[in-house]
Amino acid sequence: MAALTELQRLPGDWDGLAARARSLRRAKAAALYAFLIAVSLPIILPYFWLVTIAFSAKTGVADTMVLWRSTAVFVPTVIAFWLAAILAQNRRQMWLAITAIGLIATAAFALLIGPDLHPRNFIFLVEPDFASVVRSRSGVVRGAVQFPSVWKAFGNSLLIAGAQTVIVLTVASLAAYYLSRFQFPARAAMLRSLLVLHAFPVLTLIVPMFLMLYWMGLLDTLFGVILVLVAFELPFAVFIMKGFFDAVPWDIEMSALTDGASRRQAFLRVVLPQVRNGLLAIAVFTFIRGWEEYIFVFTFLIRNTNWTMSLYMYYVRDDVMGVDYGVVSAVGVFYLVPSLVLYLAAQRYLMQMSIGGVKG
Amino acid sequence: MAAIIEPNLQHRDSAGSVARRRTNFVIFLGPAIVLTAIFFMIPVLIDIAVSFTDLDRTLRFGKFTTEQYHKVFRGDPRLAQVIGLTLVYVFGTLAVFNVTFGLVLALTTTALNKISGGFFRGVWLLPRMSPSVLYILLWLWVINPSDAGLLNQFLMQTVGLAKPLDLLTSAPVALIIIANGFIGASMGMIIFTAAIRGIPEHLFYAAAVDGAGTLAQIQFITLPALRWPISFVTIYQTLSLLVSFEYILLLTKGGPFYDTTVYALYVYRRAFASGQYGYGAALALFLIVIGVAVALLGWRFFDLQRLLQRPRIEVH
Repeated sequence: MAALTELQRLPGDWDGLAARARSLRRAKAAALYAFLIAVSLPIILPYFWLVTIAFSAKTGVADTMVLWRSTAVFVPTVIAFWLAAILAQNRRQMWLAITAIGLIATAAFALLIGPDLHPRNFIFLVEPDFASVVRSRSGVVRGAVQFPSVWKAFGNSLLIAGAQTVIVLTVASLAAYYLSRFQFPARAAMLRSLLVLHAFPVLTLIVPMFLMLYWMGLLDTLFGVILVLVAFELPFAVFIMKGFFDAVPWDIEMSALTDGASRRQAFLRVVLPQVRNGLLAIAVFTFIRGWEEYIFVFTFLIRNTNWTMSLYMYYVRDDVMGVDYGVVSAVGVFYLVPSLVLYLAAQRYLMQMSIGGVKG
Repeated sequence: MAAIIEPNLQHRDSAGSVARRRTNFVIFLGPAIVLTAIFFMIPVLIDIAVSFTDLDRTLRFGKFTTEQYHKVFRGDPRLAQVIGLTLVYVFGTLAVFNVTFGLVLALTTTALNKISGGFFRGVWLLPRMSPSVLYILLWLWVINPSDAGLLNQFLMQTVGLAKPLDLLTSAPVALIIIANGFIGASMGMIIFTAAIRGIPEHLFYAAAVDGAGTLAQIQFITLPALRWPISFVTIYQTLSLLVSFEYILLLTKGGPFYDTTVYALYVYRRAFASGQYGYGAALALFLIVIGVAVALLGWRFFDLQRLLQRPRIEVH
């Protein structure tokens, strides 16, 4: 009886309750956004400023006003993009809004920062001895690093990352296919040691590896570094590739064999095309690792004609930072962009890879 | 269908296939085995051998000696400080960033809609996606001790700080923890996000109907579901923090003096800066043992049964 009166009393309150719930939910969402924006700004701003400075700084210290002005355009733009993405009712609206915001932001950028933009910080692309030029510009005589041409370092990095990718892809897919599809006496033992190796921290081997390369006569050669990096990347790649091979249905292979293919032919023509996503993921991942590698190349490569981009960046920072932020930032942008582009392009495949294998 | 095919395949097996089985083994597994043997097994053996010599900068062997291990256990006064710092660094980073903050990021970004959540996760992946040299370059620039440093500019203009801060000398340990944590947090974030996405949604609705608020839902549904991922992240990140020193070397070079030299960096400095390869090898051996031990724990995390699944075609 009491419950009934309770129910009869309630209807008048429904709207009030709903409104309260809605505002509570809105407050919660606002708090979440505020928190995430607050913790994310310290990350996003340095990257943004890096780009701004690379294209705007004059010799000497970075111009603070340009930074603040560009931030004043950048932050509202990001927020506007995000609002557009959330509030849009359909794809068409979203693209319209994004285009409109993009145009407005570009115009604002051109008006506020445009006059300050210039490509002179990218002098290192054409002038190998840019360090002297920069120093003489600001009248500082300091630092004695002899820089090779940036294209030399770029080529070395490309060579290391590229060769590493090709070798890892070949060796890993061969081994992973065999481990996944063939029965042989030591299989279980091998899979167990693979599991251990793929989690083993290779950085602990840096001292003996250095000595080994020295005794093999491979110290300070790109070939030696490539071999080391390939070997270190291998267990992980085999492990991931085995997962991808395991997922290929047996029937496909079975029918290839009944049609008269050998195991090797079945592998090359039938199974390999099935694991394209895995190959892509491993390729991108290995390439990025090679491109970003710092500790091993820093320890194993000495001559400046063997420098990779990471070493080039390191010595530019060591030598020119404090003299000219603009050039340092420009080198940074030049170094950062390829890996970011690769990450973004292969994001989907990389996600598949990093999460596979972990027990939920 | 399979029943008809299999006898056929078995039939081909017996004839001249032993040779083919051997060649297949060599072609498919040979390169991987050779590379792993040369670059994993031999370095470990070299490390053990070198740790019993007095190999130094001249790179010439002198005599067999256990002097290096005496030094590790008794003769190195700096080692205690290094180990203490390593513990602070590893567990500080782990507790604050890799697990806790990673969890916070995963929980908050999955509570938002897909686009916003993805955006913020993307931002937090930026440090991981950028090359280490560049990431640390940004740090050095942010904390630059002159009034050109971004942090100093910001603090001097807003809070009215009188003199620029020099964090590299005043708070180096906090600095290496934060710099590593920004990267470590994203690892936990990704794994936890995937795990949270895997929780059946109806559990949350049921809890909400029963009157559970957001915090109660997290406590009774999300966290229990994250037990495995959390222990996975904890163990693997402990190992990777313990052995890695790349960001510290770039940011502080282990200094001022030895204030930010963690164990792994100490090994590196002993071997390559002071040229004491024998001592470095002895110190590294402890890390190698820990590395193998933790890697063995992987057996608990991965589905061995699935990994060892038997192949279904017996033809070579």
